[in-house]
Amino acid sequence: MKNKVLMGLAAIAMVAVLSSCGKVPQEKIDATNTAITAAQTAEAAVYVPAEFAAVQDSMKAIMAEVEVQNGKLFKNFKNVTVKLDQTLAAANQVAANAAVKKEEVKKEVEALMTEIKAVVEENTGLMKKAPRGKEGAAVLEAFKTDMATIEASIAEAQGLYDKGAYMDADNKVKAAKERAVGINTELKEAIAKVKRK
Amino acid sequence: MSRVWKRIILLISAFSLIAVTVLLLVYFAPVPPTGEMEAARKALSSAATNKADTYSRKLYNQANVYYDSAMVNWKRQNRIFFYFRDYEKVISYANLSEMKAIEAENNSLISSSGLKSRLQPKIESLSNLVIELDLLFDSYPLTEETRNRISRGKLLLEEAKIALKNGIYLQANRKLTDSEYLLTESFESATENLTNYFKSYSLWKKWVEMTVNESKRKDDYSIIIDKFSRKCYVYFNGRQKYIFDAELGKNWVGDKRLKGDMATPEGMYKITKKFDGRKTKYYKALLLDYPNDEDTARFRAEIEKGSLPPNAKIGSLIEIHGNGGKGIDWTEGCVALTDKEMDIVFKIVKIGTPVTIVGSLTDLDAILNK
Repeated sequence: MKNKVLMGLAAIAMVAVLSSCGKVPQEKIDATNTAITAAQTAEAAVYVPAEFAAVQDSMKAIMAEVEVQNGKLFKNFKNVTVKLDQTLAAANQVAANAAVKKEEVKKEVEALMTEIKAVVEENTGLMKKAPRGKEGAAVLEAFKTDMATIEASIAEAQGLYDKGAYMDADNKVKAAKERAVGINTELKEAIAKVKRK
Repeated sequence: MSRVWKRIILLISAFSLIAVTVLLLVYFAPVPPTGEMEAARKALSSAATNKADTYSRKLYNQANVYYDSAMVNWKRQNRIFFYFRDYEKVISYANLSEMKAIEAENNSLISSSGLKSRLQPKIESLSNLVIELDLLFDSYPLTEETRNRISRGKLLLEEAKIALKNGIYLQANRKLTDSEYLLTESFESATENLTNYFKSYSLWKKWVEMTVNESKRKDDYSIIIDKFSRKCYVYFNGRQKYIFDAELGKNWVGDKRLKGDMATPEGMYKITKKFDGRKTKYYKALLLDYPNDEDTARFRAEIEKGSLPPNAKIGSLIEIHGNGGKGIDWTEGCVALTDKEMDIVFKIVKIGTPVTIVGSLTDLDAILNK
Protein backbone atom coordinates (compact mmCIF):
# COMPACT_ATOMS: atom_id res chain seq x y z
CA MET A 1 0.00 0.00 0.00
CA LYS A 2 2.76 2.34 1.06
CA ASN A 3 4.65 1.57 -2.22
CA LYS A 4 1.60 2.35 -4.32
CA VAL A 5 1.17 5.73 -2.61
CA LEU A 6 4.84 6.56 -3.20
CA MET A 7 4.60 5.49 -6.86
CA GLY A 8 1.53 7.69 -7.29
CA LEU A 9 3.23 10.70 -5.74
CA ALA A 10 6.30 10.18 -7.92
CA ALA A 11 4.12 10.01 -11.02
CA ILE A 12 2.30 13.23 -10.05
CA ALA A 13 5.64 14.97 -9.36
CA MET A 14 6.96 13.76 -12.72
CA VAL A 15 3.89 15.05 -14.55
CA ALA A 16 4.13 18.36 -12.65
CA VAL A 17 7.79 18.79 -13.57
CA LEU A 18 7.23 17.85 -17.20
CA SER A 19 4.16 20.04 -17.56
CA SER A 20 5.82 23.05 -15.92
CA CYS A 21 8.65 22.94 -18.48
CA GLY A 22 6.43 21.90 -21.37
CA LYS A 23 3.97 24.77 -21.57
CA VAL A 24 4.40 27.51 -24.18
CA PRO A 25 5.12 30.78 -22.28
CA GLN A 26 2.34 32.54 -24.19
CA GLU A 27 2.01 35.38 -21.71
CA LYS A 28 5.68 36.23 -22.06
CA ILE A 29 5.45 35.95 -25.82
CA ASP A 30 2.50 38.32 -25.86
CA ALA A 31 4.26 40.72 -23.49
CA THR A 32 7.39 40.73 -25.67
CA ASN A 33 5.36 41.27 -28.84
CA THR A 34 3.55 44.15 -27.12
CA ALA A 35 6.91 45.65 -26.13
CA ILE A 36 8.15 45.34 -29.75
CA THR A 37 4.98 47.01 -31.02
CA ALA A 38 5.51 49.77 -28.45
CA ALA A 39 9.07 50.22 -29.71
CA GLN A 40 7.74 50.43 -33.25
CA THR A 41 5.19 53.03 -32.15
CA ALA A 42 8.06 54.96 -30.54
CA GLU A 43 9.55 55.06 -34.09
CA ALA A 44 12.47 52.83 -33.15
CA ALA A 45 12.75 51.87 -36.83
CA VAL A 46 13.45 55.54 -37.61
CA TYR A 47 15.61 56.60 -34.67
CA VAL A 48 17.43 53.37 -33.66
CA PRO A 49 16.98 51.12 -36.72
CA ALA A 50 19.84 48.70 -35.99
CA GLU A 51 18.72 48.06 -32.39
CA PHE A 52 15.13 47.59 -33.48
CA ALA A 53 16.12 45.15 -36.22
CA ALA A 54 18.15 43.15 -33.66
CA VAL A 55 15.11 42.85 -31.35
CA GLN A 56 12.90 41.75 -34.23
CA ASP A 57 15.47 39.14 -35.21
CA SER A 58 15.66 37.87 -31.61
CA MET A 59 11.90 37.45 -31.56
CA LYS A 60 11.99 35.53 -34.82
CA ALA A 61 14.67 33.21 -33.36
CA ILE A 62 12.57 32.70 -30.21
CA MET A 63 9.46 31.81 -32.19
CA ALA A 64 11.50 29.28 -34.16
CA GLU A 65 12.77 27.83 -30.88
CA VAL A 66 9.15 27.61 -29.63
CA GLU A 67 8.28 25.50 -32.65
CA VAL A 68 11.35 23.34 -32.11
CA GLN A 69 10.12 22.61 -28.57
CA ASN A 70 6.51 22.20 -29.73
CA GLY A 71 7.71 19.45 -32.03
CA LYS A 72 9.32 17.47 -29.21
CA LEU A 73 7.73 14.77 -27.05
CA PHE A 74 9.18 16.30 -23.92
CA LYS A 75 8.97 20.05 -24.36
CA ASN A 76 11.25 22.37 -22.50
CA PHE A 77 10.64 26.12 -22.78
CA LYS A 78 13.13 27.14 -20.10
CA ASN A 79 15.60 28.51 -22.62
CA VAL A 80 12.78 30.21 -24.54
CA THR A 81 11.58 31.86 -21.33
CA VAL A 82 15.04 33.18 -20.56
CA LYS A 83 15.41 34.55 -24.10
CA LEU A 84 11.94 36.08 -23.94
CA ASP A 85 12.86 37.88 -20.73
CA GLN A 86 16.01 39.21 -22.40
CA THR A 87 14.17 40.26 -25.55
CA LEU A 88 11.41 41.92 -23.56
CA ALA A 89 14.02 43.93 -21.68
CA ALA A 90 15.80 44.73 -24.96
CA ALA A 91 12.54 45.83 -26.62
CA ASN A 92 11.78 48.13 -23.69
CA GLN A 93 15.31 49.49 -23.90
CA VAL A 94 15.00 50.05 -27.65
CA ALA A 95 11.74 51.96 -27.10
CA ALA A 96 13.44 54.07 -24.44
CA ASN A 97 16.48 54.65 -26.67
CA ALA A 98 14.23 55.65 -29.55
CA ALA A 99 12.45 58.13 -27.30
CA VAL A 100 15.79 59.56 -26.15
CA LYS A 101 17.10 59.82 -29.74
CA LYS A 102 13.82 61.35 -30.88
CA GLU A 103 14.05 63.92 -28.12
CA GLU A 104 17.65 64.66 -29.13
CA VAL A 105 16.63 65.23 -32.75
CA LYS A 106 13.67 67.33 -31.57
CA LYS A 107 15.99 69.49 -29.49
CA GLU A 108 18.40 69.75 -32.42
CA VAL A 109 15.58 70.91 -34.70
CA GLU A 110 14.49 73.46 -32.09
CA ALA A 111 18.05 74.76 -31.78
CA LEU A 112 18.45 74.88 -35.57
CA MET A 113 15.14 76.70 -35.89
CA THR A 114 16.28 79.33 -33.42
CA GLU A 115 19.64 79.63 -35.18
CA ILE A 116 18.20 79.88 -38.68
CA LYS A 117 15.64 82.46 -37.61
CA ALA A 118 18.48 84.53 -36.20
CA VAL A 119 20.46 84.16 -39.44
CA VAL A 120 17.41 85.13 -41.50
CA GLU A 121 16.86 88.17 -39.31
CA GLU A 122 20.53 89.10 -39.56
CA ASN A 123 20.39 88.69 -43.35
CA THR A 124 17.41 91.04 -43.53
CA GLY A 125 19.46 93.64 -41.65
CA LEU A 126 22.56 93.00 -43.75
CA MET A 127 20.62 93.42 -46.97
CA LYS A 128 19.83 96.96 -45.96
CA LYS A 129 23.53 97.67 -45.45
CA ALA A 130 24.77 95.77 -48.50
CA PRO A 131 26.25 97.75 -51.42
CA ARG A 132 23.75 98.57 -54.12
CA GLY A 133 26.17 99.60 -56.81
CA LYS A 134 26.48 97.93 -60.17
CA GLU A 135 25.32 94.31 -59.93
CA GLY A 136 25.05 94.58 -56.15
CA ALA A 137 21.39 95.47 -56.26
CA ALA A 138 20.66 92.76 -58.82
CA VAL A 139 22.34 90.19 -56.58
CA LEU A 140 20.33 91.51 -53.64
CA GLU A 141 17.16 90.98 -55.64
CA ALA A 142 18.22 87.36 -56.19
CA PHE A 143 19.00 87.03 -52.46
CA LYS A 144 15.54 88.33 -51.65
CA THR A 145 14.01 85.50 -53.69
CA ASP A 146 16.35 83.03 -51.99
CA MET A 147 15.39 84.36 -48.54
CA ALA A 148 11.71 83.96 -49.39
CA THR A 149 12.39 80.36 -50.44
CA ILE A 150 14.32 79.76 -47.22
CA GLU A 151 11.47 81.18 -45.14
CA ALA A 152 9.01 78.91 -46.98
CA SER A 153 11.31 75.98 -46.24
CA ILE A 154 11.46 76.94 -42.54
CA ALA A 155 7.65 77.01 -42.48
CA GLU A 156 7.63 73.56 -44.11
CA ALA A 157 10.13 72.29 -41.53
CA GLN A 158 7.95 73.74 -38.76
CA GLY A 159 4.99 71.82 -40.19
CA LEU A 160 7.02 68.60 -40.13
CA TYR A 161 8.13 69.38 -36.58
CA ASP A 162 4.53 69.94 -35.49
CA LYS A 163 3.62 66.57 -36.98
CA GLY A 164 6.45 64.95 -35.01
CA ALA A 165 8.48 64.13 -38.14
CA TYR A 166 11.64 65.46 -36.49
CA MET A 167 14.12 63.63 -38.71
CA ASP A 168 12.60 65.11 -41.90
CA ALA A 169 12.33 68.53 -40.26
CA ASP A 170 15.98 68.25 -39.21
CA ASN A 171 17.18 67.57 -42.77
CA LYS A 172 15.06 70.38 -44.20
CA VAL A 173 16.10 72.98 -41.67
CA LYS A 174 19.79 72.00 -41.99
CA ALA A 175 19.67 72.62 -45.74
CA ALA A 176 17.85 75.92 -45.27
CA LYS A 177 20.41 76.98 -42.68
CA GLU A 178 23.28 76.05 -44.98
CA ARG A 179 21.80 78.29 -47.68
CA ALA A 180 21.00 81.13 -45.27
CA VAL A 181 24.52 81.02 -43.85
CA GLY A 182 25.90 81.10 -47.42
CA ILE A 183 23.94 84.26 -48.15
CA ASN A 184 25.03 85.70 -44.80
CA THR A 185 28.69 85.12 -45.67
CA GLU A 186 28.30 86.68 -49.12
CA LEU A 187 26.54 89.71 -47.67
CA LYS A 188 29.21 90.19 -44.99
CA GLU A 189 31.99 89.86 -47.56
CA ALA A 190 30.31 92.41 -49.84
CA ILE A 191 29.90 94.87 -46.95
CA ALA A 192 33.50 94.33 -45.79
CA LYS A 193 34.75 94.88 -49.35
CA VAL A 194 33.01 98.23 -49.52
CA LYS A 195 34.41 99.23 -46.10
CA ARG A 196 37.96 98.33 -47.17
CA LYS A 197 37.61 100.59 -50.20
CA MET B 1 10.11 -21.26 -13.77
CA SER B 2 7.74 -19.79 -11.36
CA ARG B 3 4.69 -17.85 -12.50
CA VAL B 4 6.14 -14.64 -11.03
CA TRP B 5 9.24 -14.84 -13.19
CA LYS B 6 7.19 -15.61 -16.24
CA ARG B 7 5.14 -12.47 -15.62
CA ILE B 8 8.27 -10.37 -15.06
CA ILE B 9 9.83 -11.61 -18.31
CA LEU B 10 6.58 -10.96 -20.17
CA LEU B 11 6.35 -7.45 -18.77
CA ILE B 12 9.98 -6.66 -19.61
CA SER B 13 9.50 -8.00 -23.13
CA ALA B 14 6.37 -5.92 -23.60
CA PHE B 15 8.13 -2.78 -22.30
CA SER B 16 11.16 -3.50 -24.43
CA LEU B 17 8.99 -3.92 -27.48
CA ILE B 18 7.21 -0.66 -26.76
CA ALA B 19 10.52 1.10 -26.07
CA VAL B 20 12.09 -0.21 -29.29
CA THR B 21 8.97 0.76 -31.25
CA VAL B 22 9.02 4.25 -29.74
CA LEU B 23 12.74 4.57 -30.39
CA LEU B 24 12.31 3.43 -33.97
CA LEU B 25 9.45 5.85 -34.45
CA VAL B 26 11.53 8.68 -33.02
CA TYR B 27 14.55 7.65 -35.07
CA PHE B 28 12.66 7.53 -38.33
CA ALA B 29 10.43 10.54 -37.59
CA PRO B 30 10.95 13.56 -39.88
CA VAL B 31 13.64 15.94 -38.63
CA PRO B 32 12.31 19.46 -37.86
CA PRO B 33 13.60 22.13 -40.28
CA THR B 34 15.63 23.98 -37.66
CA GLY B 35 18.67 24.52 -39.87
CA GLU B 36 16.68 25.82 -42.85
CA MET B 37 14.64 28.15 -40.66
CA GLU B 38 17.75 29.53 -38.99
CA ALA B 39 19.44 30.07 -42.34
CA ALA B 40 16.38 31.93 -43.61
CA ARG B 41 16.20 34.06 -40.47
CA LYS B 42 19.89 34.94 -40.66
CA ALA B 43 19.57 35.82 -44.33
CA LEU B 44 16.62 38.09 -43.52
CA SER B 45 18.53 39.75 -40.70
CA SER B 46 21.55 40.32 -42.92
CA ALA B 47 19.33 41.73 -45.67
CA ALA B 48 17.73 44.12 -43.19
CA THR B 49 21.17 45.23 -41.98
CA ASN B 50 22.04 46.06 -45.58
CA LYS B 51 18.84 48.10 -45.94
CA ALA B 52 17.10 45.67 -48.28
CA ASP B 53 13.84 46.89 -46.76
CA THR B 54 14.60 50.24 -48.38
CA TYR B 55 16.55 49.47 -51.55
CA SER B 56 15.01 46.12 -52.47
CA ARG B 57 11.67 46.35 -50.71
CA LYS B 58 9.75 43.99 -53.01
CA LEU B 59 12.20 41.10 -52.71
CA TYR B 60 12.68 41.69 -48.99
CA ASN B 61 8.91 41.64 -48.41
CA GLN B 62 8.64 38.44 -50.43
CA ALA B 63 11.36 36.87 -48.29
CA ASN B 64 9.43 37.83 -45.15
CA VAL B 65 6.18 36.44 -46.54
CA TYR B 66 7.92 33.13 -47.31
CA TYR B 67 9.40 33.04 -43.81
CA ASP B 68 5.98 33.64 -42.25
CA SER B 69 4.50 30.92 -44.45
CA ALA B 70 7.23 28.54 -43.28
CA MET B 71 6.41 29.33 -39.65
CA VAL B 72 2.66 28.82 -40.19
CA ASN B 73 3.30 25.47 -41.84
CA TRP B 74 5.73 24.43 -39.11
CA LYS B 75 3.09 25.16 -36.48
CA ARG B 76 0.54 23.18 -38.49
CA GLN B 77 2.89 20.19 -38.71
CA ASN B 78 3.61 20.32 -34.98
CA ARG B 79 -0.07 19.65 -34.32
CA ILE B 80 0.17 16.34 -36.21
CA PHE B 81 1.50 13.14 -34.55
CA PHE B 82 5.25 13.42 -34.82
CA TYR B 83 5.77 10.38 -37.00
CA PHE B 84 3.37 11.67 -39.64
CA ARG B 85 4.76 15.17 -39.86
CA ASP B 86 5.86 16.43 -43.25
CA TYR B 87 8.22 19.42 -43.25
CA GLU B 88 8.64 19.54 -46.99
CA LYS B 89 6.54 22.70 -47.38
CA VAL B 90 8.24 24.32 -44.39
CA ILE B 91 11.66 23.61 -45.85
CA SER B 92 10.57 24.78 -49.27
CA TYR B 93 9.26 28.09 -47.86
CA ALA B 94 12.34 28.52 -45.66
CA ASN B 95 14.63 27.94 -48.64
CA LEU B 96 12.63 30.35 -50.76
CA SER B 97 12.78 32.90 -47.95
CA GLU B 98 16.56 32.52 -47.67
CA MET B 99 17.00 32.74 -51.42
CA LYS B 100 14.84 35.87 -51.72
CA ALA B 101 16.54 37.47 -48.69
CA ILE B 102 19.99 36.89 -50.22
CA GLU B 103 18.75 38.21 -53.54
CA ALA B 104 17.22 41.23 -51.77
CA GLU B 105 20.48 41.89 -49.93
CA ASN B 106 22.57 41.69 -53.09
CA ASN B 107 20.10 43.83 -54.93
CA SER B 108 20.10 46.35 -52.11
CA LEU B 109 23.89 46.52 -52.05
CA ILE B 110 24.06 47.01 -55.81
CA SER B 111 21.20 49.52 -55.82
CA SER B 112 22.48 51.58 -52.92
CA SER B 113 26.09 51.66 -54.07
CA GLY B 114 24.97 52.32 -57.65
CA LEU B 115 22.72 55.08 -56.45
CA LYS B 116 25.46 56.54 -54.27
CA SER B 117 27.94 56.57 -57.14
CA ARG B 118 25.37 58.17 -59.44
CA LEU B 119 24.37 60.84 -56.92
CA GLN B 120 27.77 62.46 -56.49
CA PRO B 121 28.34 63.32 -60.17
CA LYS B 122 24.72 64.46 -60.43
CA ILE B 123 25.27 66.82 -57.50
CA GLU B 124 28.43 68.14 -59.12
CA SER B 125 26.72 68.65 -62.45
CA LEU B 126 23.79 70.48 -60.83
CA SER B 127 26.18 72.61 -58.76
CA ASN B 128 27.88 73.61 -62.02
CA LEU B 129 24.51 74.41 -63.53
CA VAL B 130 23.78 76.66 -60.55
CA ILE B 131 27.08 78.50 -61.13
CA GLU B 132 26.25 78.87 -64.81
CA LEU B 133 22.75 80.13 -64.02
CA ASP B 134 24.17 82.68 -61.58
CA LEU B 135 26.77 83.85 -64.08
CA LEU B 136 24.44 84.18 -67.02
CA PHE B 137 21.19 85.27 -65.47
CA ASP B 138 22.04 87.06 -62.24
CA SER B 139 21.09 90.39 -63.73
CA TYR B 140 18.91 89.07 -66.53
CA PRO B 141 15.24 89.91 -66.03
CA LEU B 142 13.92 86.40 -65.58
CA THR B 143 10.29 86.10 -64.59
CA GLU B 144 9.51 85.92 -60.89
CA GLU B 145 8.30 82.36 -61.40
CA THR B 146 11.64 81.36 -62.99
CA ARG B 147 13.59 83.06 -60.19
CA ASN B 148 11.51 81.17 -57.63
CA ARG B 149 12.05 77.89 -59.44
CA ILE B 150 15.81 78.45 -59.51
CA SER B 151 15.78 79.33 -55.82
CA ARG B 152 13.75 76.22 -54.93
CA GLY B 153 16.02 74.11 -57.11
CA LYS B 154 19.08 75.41 -55.25
CA LEU B 155 17.55 74.63 -51.86
CA LEU B 156 16.54 71.14 -52.96
CA LEU B 157 20.10 70.60 -54.15
CA GLU B 158 21.29 71.54 -50.66
CA GLU B 159 18.78 69.11 -49.10
CA ALA B 160 20.01 66.37 -51.45
CA LYS B 161 23.60 66.98 -50.35
CA ILE B 162 22.60 66.56 -46.69
CA ALA B 163 20.59 63.41 -47.43
CA LEU B 164 23.58 61.95 -49.31
CA LYS B 165 25.87 62.80 -46.39
CA ASN B 166 23.46 61.00 -44.03
CA GLY B 167 23.36 57.94 -46.31
CA ILE B 168 19.68 58.41 -47.19
CA TYR B 169 20.28 57.79 -50.86
CA LEU B 170 16.69 57.37 -51.98
CA GLN B 171 15.69 60.66 -50.40
CA ALA B 172 18.77 62.31 -51.88
CA ASN B 173 17.84 60.94 -55.29
CA ARG B 174 14.25 62.21 -55.02
CA LYS B 175 15.43 65.68 -54.01
CA LEU B 176 18.01 65.71 -56.81
CA THR B 177 15.42 64.71 -59.37
CA ASP B 178 13.16 67.57 -58.26
CA SER B 179 16.09 69.98 -58.14
CA GLU B 180 17.28 68.86 -61.58
CA TYR B 181 13.82 69.39 -63.03
CA LEU B 182 13.52 72.90 -61.60
CA LEU B 183 17.05 74.01 -62.48
CA THR B 184 17.26 72.41 -65.91
CA GLU B 185 13.85 73.62 -66.93
CA SER B 186 14.65 77.14 -65.73
CA PHE B 187 18.01 77.07 -67.51
CA GLU B 188 16.45 75.86 -70.75
CA SER B 189 13.65 78.40 -70.74
CA ALA B 190 16.06 81.20 -69.81
CA THR B 191 18.51 80.13 -72.51
CA GLU B 192 15.70 79.91 -75.06
CA ASN B 193 14.67 83.38 -74.05
CA LEU B 194 18.26 84.54 -74.41
CA THR B 195 18.60 82.89 -77.83
CA ASN B 196 15.45 84.63 -79.02
CA TYR B 197 16.82 87.86 -77.65
CA PHE B 198 19.96 87.48 -79.76
CA LYS B 199 18.08 86.75 -83.00
CA SER B 200 18.48 90.36 -84.12
CA TYR B 201 22.23 90.38 -83.49
CA SER B 202 23.22 90.88 -87.17
CA LEU B 203 20.87 93.87 -87.39
CA TRP B 204 22.29 95.35 -84.19
CA LYS B 205 25.80 94.92 -85.60
CA LYS B 206 24.79 96.82 -88.73
CA TRP B 207 23.23 99.63 -86.67
CA VAL B 208 26.37 99.97 -84.58
CA GLU B 209 28.59 100.14 -87.67
CA MET B 210 26.36 102.79 -89.18
CA THR B 211 26.35 104.83 -85.96
CA VAL B 212 30.13 104.68 -85.53
CA ASN B 213 30.63 105.55 -89.21
CA GLU B 214 28.28 108.50 -88.90
CA SER B 215 30.26 109.76 -85.92
CA LYS B 216 33.41 109.49 -88.05
CA ARG B 217 31.89 111.02 -91.14
CA LYS B 218 30.44 113.96 -89.27
CA ASP B 219 33.38 114.27 -86.88
CA ASP B 220 30.85 114.37 -84.10
CA TYR B 221 29.49 112.47 -81.11
CA SER B 222 27.19 109.48 -81.19
CA ILE B 223 25.98 107.20 -78.43
CA ILE B 224 25.59 103.43 -78.41
CA ILE B 225 23.74 101.62 -75.65
CA ASP B 226 24.50 97.91 -75.19
CA LYS B 227 21.55 96.55 -73.22
CA PHE B 228 23.03 93.14 -72.40
CA SER B 229 26.24 94.45 -70.88
CA ARG B 230 24.42 97.58 -69.64
CA LYS B 231 26.97 99.92 -71.09
CA CYS B 232 26.70 103.33 -72.63
CA TYR B 233 29.45 104.01 -75.20
CA VAL B 234 30.14 107.56 -76.33
CA TYR B 235 31.93 107.83 -79.68
CA PHE B 236 33.61 110.83 -81.17
CA ASN B 237 34.95 110.85 -84.70
CA GLY B 238 34.49 107.09 -84.90
CA ARG B 239 36.46 106.46 -81.72
CA GLN B 240 35.24 105.35 -78.36
CA LYS B 241 35.62 108.22 -75.94
CA TYR B 242 33.64 107.18 -72.84
CA ILE B 243 32.12 104.04 -71.39
CA PHE B 244 29.51 104.33 -68.66
CA ASP B 245 27.41 101.81 -66.78
CA ALA B 246 23.78 102.09 -67.80
CA GLU B 247 20.57 101.05 -66.11
CA LEU B 248 17.57 100.06 -68.15
CA GLY B 249 13.87 99.31 -67.99
CA LYS B 250 12.83 96.66 -65.48
CA ASN B 251 11.87 94.40 -68.36
CA TRP B 252 14.73 95.21 -70.69
CA VAL B 253 14.90 91.93 -72.59
CA GLY B 254 13.52 92.27 -76.11
CA ASP B 255 12.32 95.25 -78.00
CA LYS B 256 9.75 97.66 -76.60
CA ARG B 257 6.33 96.70 -77.93
CA LEU B 258 3.83 98.94 -76.15
CA LYS B 259 3.36 101.58 -73.52
CA GLY B 260 3.94 100.39 -69.99
CA ASP B 261 5.85 97.18 -70.86
CA MET B 262 8.91 98.53 -68.98
CA ALA B 263 11.12 97.58 -71.94
CA THR B 264 13.95 99.67 -73.34
CA PRO B 265 13.49 99.99 -77.12
CA GLU B 266 16.05 98.86 -79.68
CA GLY B 267 16.70 101.01 -82.69
CA MET B 268 18.52 103.98 -84.20
CA TYR B 269 17.30 107.16 -82.61
CA LYS B 270 18.27 110.81 -82.33
CA ILE B 271 18.17 113.22 -79.46
CA THR B 272 15.19 115.52 -79.91
CA LYS B 273 15.25 117.55 -76.68
CA LYS B 274 17.55 118.26 -73.76
CA PHE B 275 16.06 118.82 -70.31
CA ASP B 276 17.69 120.05 -67.14
CA GLY B 277 16.70 121.81 -63.97
CA ARG B 278 12.96 121.78 -63.35
CA LYS B 279 12.20 120.40 -66.80
CA THR B 280 13.04 116.88 -65.65
CA LYS B 281 12.73 114.90 -62.43
CA TYR B 282 15.78 112.82 -63.35
CA TYR B 283 18.48 115.47 -62.89
CA LYS B 284 19.17 115.87 -66.62
CA ALA B 285 17.52 114.13 -69.56
CA LEU B 286 17.95 113.63 -73.31
CA LEU B 287 14.67 112.84 -75.05
CA LEU B 288 14.87 110.38 -77.96
CA ASP B 289 12.68 110.26 -81.05
CA TYR B 290 11.03 107.03 -79.94
CA PRO B 291 8.84 105.81 -81.56
CA ASN B 292 10.56 106.21 -84.91
CA ASP B 293 8.97 105.13 -88.21
CA GLU B 294 10.12 101.53 -87.84
CA ASP B 295 8.75 101.30 -84.29
CA THR B 296 5.41 102.69 -85.41
CA ALA B 297 5.20 100.31 -88.39
CA ARG B 298 6.04 97.33 -86.22
CA PHE B 299 3.51 98.39 -83.58
CA ARG B 300 0.74 98.76 -86.20
CA ALA B 301 1.59 95.37 -87.71
CA GLU B 302 1.29 93.79 -84.28
CA ILE B 303 -2.09 95.42 -83.72
CA GLU B 304 -3.26 94.16 -87.11
CA LYS B 305 -1.94 90.68 -86.43
CA GLY B 306 -3.75 90.70 -83.11
CA SER B 307 -0.60 90.02 -81.09
CA LEU B 308 -1.27 93.33 -79.32
CA PRO B 309 -4.70 94.44 -78.10
CA PRO B 310 -6.42 97.03 -80.35
CA ASN B 311 -6.44 99.61 -77.56
CA ALA B 312 -2.70 99.25 -76.91
CA LYS B 313 -0.55 102.38 -77.07
CA ILE B 314 2.97 102.55 -78.41
CA GLY B 315 4.45 104.65 -75.62
CA SER B 316 6.85 107.57 -75.77
CA LEU B 317 9.20 109.74 -73.69
CA ILE B 318 12.16 107.41 -73.88
CA GLU B 319 15.16 109.28 -72.51
CA ILE B 320 18.73 108.97 -71.39
CA HIS B 321 18.57 110.52 -67.96
CA GLY B 322 20.29 110.86 -64.58
CA ASN B 323 19.52 109.39 -61.14
CA GLY B 324 21.29 106.17 -62.13
CA GLY B 325 23.85 104.20 -60.14
CA LYS B 326 21.24 102.15 -58.27
CA GLY B 327 22.69 98.90 -59.52
CA ILE B 328 19.42 97.54 -60.81
CA ASP B 329 17.27 98.00 -63.88
CA TRP B 330 14.60 100.25 -62.54
CA THR B 331 13.43 102.64 -65.25
CA GLU B 332 10.19 102.38 -67.22
CA GLY B 333 12.15 101.91 -70.44
CA CYS B 334 14.65 104.77 -70.33
CA VAL B 335 18.43 104.55 -69.96
CA ALA B 336 19.75 105.89 -66.64
CA LEU B 337 23.30 107.10 -65.98
CA THR B 338 24.73 108.55 -62.79
CA ASP B 339 24.32 112.30 -62.44
CA LYS B 340 28.07 112.78 -62.84
CA GLU B 341 28.11 110.83 -66.09
CA MET B 342 24.98 112.61 -67.21
CA ASP B 343 26.78 115.94 -66.78
CA ILE B 344 29.46 114.78 -69.24
CA VAL B 345 27.04 113.42 -71.80
CA PHE B 346 24.66 116.35 -71.49
CA LYS B 347 27.51 118.74 -72.17
CA ILE B 348 28.85 117.04 -75.31
CA VAL B 349 25.70 116.01 -77.16
CA LYS B 350 23.26 118.18 -79.07
CA ILE B 351 19.82 117.87 -80.64
CA GLY B 352 20.20 115.34 -83.44
CA THR B 353 23.04 113.36 -81.88
CA PRO B 354 22.49 109.71 -82.87
CA VAL B 355 21.66 107.27 -80.05
CA THR B 356 21.60 103.64 -81.09
CA ILE B 357 20.23 101.11 -78.63
CA VAL B 358 21.10 97.46 -79.33
CA GLY B 359 20.50 94.20 -77.50
CA SER B 360 24.19 93.39 -77.43
CA LEU B 361 27.50 94.27 -79.01
CA THR B 362 28.80 90.76 -78.40
CA ASP B 363 27.25 87.66 -79.95
CA LEU B 364 25.64 84.96 -77.83
CA ASP B 365 28.34 82.32 -78.42
CA ALA B 366 31.03 84.67 -77.17
CA ILE B 367 28.93 85.48 -74.09
CA LEU B 368 28.25 81.80 -73.36
CA ASN B 369 31.90 80.85 -73.84
CA LYS B 370 32.97 83.67 -71.61
